[in-house]
Amino acid sequence: MAEHQGKTPLNFRNVAIATFIVAALVQFLGSVGLFNNYYLHILTVIGINIILVASLNLVNGYLGEFALGHAGFMAVGAYVAALIALKLHLPVLLRIPVSLAGGALAAGVIGYLVGRVTFKTVGDYLAIITLGFNMIIVNAIQNIDYLGGPRGLTAIPKGTDLATVALCTVLSYWILRNLVDSVYGRMWLCIRENAIAGELIGIDVNRVKNLAFTVAATFAGLAGGLYAGYQQFITPKSFDYLKTTDILVMLYLGGMGSLSGSILGVVAYTLLMELLRNILGLIAPQLADLRMLLSPLILVFIMLTRQYGLMGNREWRWLMPDRKQTGGEGA
Amino acid sequence: MLATAIQQLLNAAQLGAVYALIALGYTMVYGTIRLINFAHGDIFMLGGFIGFLLVAIIPGLPVAAMIPLAMLLTAMIGVLIERVAYRKLRNAQRMSLVITALGVGIFLENLVRILVGPQARQIPAQLPNKVLRLANGVVITEDKLLVILISLSLMVILWIFVNKTLLGTAMRAVADNRDAVQLMGVNLNLIIATTFAVGSALAAAGGIFFGQAYSIDPYMGIDLGWKAFIAAVIGGIGSIEGAVIGSFLLAGVEVLTVAYLSSNLKNGIAFGLLIILLLIRPNGIMGRAALKKV
Repeated sequence: MAEHQGKTPLNFRNVAIATFIVAALVQFLGSVGLFNNYYLHILTVIGINIILVASLNLVNGYLGEFALGHAGFMAVGAYVAALIALKLHLPVLLRIPVSLAGGALAAGVIGYLVGRVTFKTVGDYLAIITLGFNMIIVNAIQNIDYLGGPRGLTAIPKGTDLATVALCTVLSYWILRNLVDSVYGRMWLCIRENAIAGELIGIDVNRVKNLAFTVAATFAGLAGGLYAGYQQFITPKSFDYLKTTDILVMLYLGGMGSLSGSILGVVAYTLLMELLRNILGLIAPQLADLRMLLSPLILVFIMLTRQYGLMGNREWRWLMPDRKQTGGEGA
Repeated sequence: MLATAIQQLLNAAQLGAVYALIALGYTMVYGTIRLINFAHGDIFMLGGFIGFLLVAIIPGLPVAAMIPLAMLLTAMIGVLIERVAYRKLRNAQRMSLVITALGVGIFLENLVRILVGPQARQIPAQLPNKVLRLANGVVITEDKLLVILISLSLMVILWIFVNKTLLGTAMRAVADNRDAVQLMGVNLNLIIATTFAVGSALAAAGGIFFGQAYSIDPYMGIDLGWKAFIAAVIGGIGSIEGAVIGSFLLAGVEVLTVAYLSSNLKNGIAFGLLIILLLIRPNGIMGRAALKKV
């Protein structure tokens, strides 16, 4: 696996720093009107979606379980972050990190509890329980007046912009790829390939599975917090199973068990949808509707021709930890 | 008090019958090719719209002809979908099949939305709907009764088909061990196509009944599809009896929640209870535990 390349400028640290600088620059240009706000919006959405999709990849890709309730954790994160921002009158510099951390933490705790209960079941039953949990969360929020009920929460103070999102995305990605490369990552792969073999070599399967689930939920919560702070309004409807479906489509398009694939999937899908909208709209405005017809066809076509997604189980080398430093003791 | 309870049970039976007609398709497809066919809810929607269009295009079409015709057309579409989108992936990893099914579902929703528009419609009254008064002041309309009776007879026919005919035996054999069945010279493609045809036809009947009782719109398949899928899982996915039991159970819980608590809590309570049930019986009511292969 270890390909000892020479010193190349294309490694994770440089890319991460470059990403953040470009994002901050673009955000600054956008705020003074020199950068198209539509593009700014798309870039921000891509950043948030990368966190969502990459974190779900831990469970669905690396662990090989089929979880369907990611939007539920996103909802927990979004609402907790929004409440912190709305009710605790903190100064801006404190408010953003505290609300994001609060949202992520709350989602993580809920994720841990759900995981404790659900990992008694496997396969399609796990799918149904996580999906049911998603529906319960959305349904509960709809019935709580304090959270705005079905109308949602509005006038959330502006918390995030592209620079914040870029920072969070890079940090999340860094944590996720290190986890995947750690001994836990190996255990997840082992459980995915053969859970019984894993048990026999002494892996505490439920605990290790639940770790992946909790981490995924935490990052979904972070993404939810970013979303709430960016959109400044949230409704329970934004987090129902349609959202989960969206996340799944990007995940499987990019490829299972591949974090770089998650980036590629999000970027490809988002750009594709926007391109289709613009191109079809250019030909004739009423054709823009056809986008909704073409995009699932493209998805099916990709699945039929590349059934593991664009990057299934492969990574861009430069996004993975440098083997020369960890190779000695790690493997 | 008793009268309202019976009334609610009848409502639950009607809703449960529709759920069961969809859930049977889920469970049969899952049984044969281990695919959670996320497009199945949209096939149900398509069936409802085909019925709606048939009535609109042929004005005097009797309901006794409309339902079988719509079932036939929908069955053909179901087989076509399997042929085009699923067959090539039959031996692929399961998740790419699932995602293909999701794509097919989104495609069908948007196709119908573009063709007939997003608004909700009702299939014009077809079934006789005279009000019948039973003892104790229980009231039931004829169409409600007919929906329950037709659905139940369809389920009985399906049960006989699966358990007593050669084709049905082959279907069960495929569900049990696909590779061995192929070695016995059974035409696997034919069996799987039959599964999709039967499942889609049943879903179409469900769509028409649902469109008569409530209304149809291009996105209704998402919600009802998930519900029916859940009903199938509750019953033990892969089991035909289980799908029927799970459907009536889910409908019962939902109707009772709406009647005695709040319609807002419907989804939450239904799913909550069903999750608890799954934790007690992890393989569903009629499901068998999968053997661990070492």
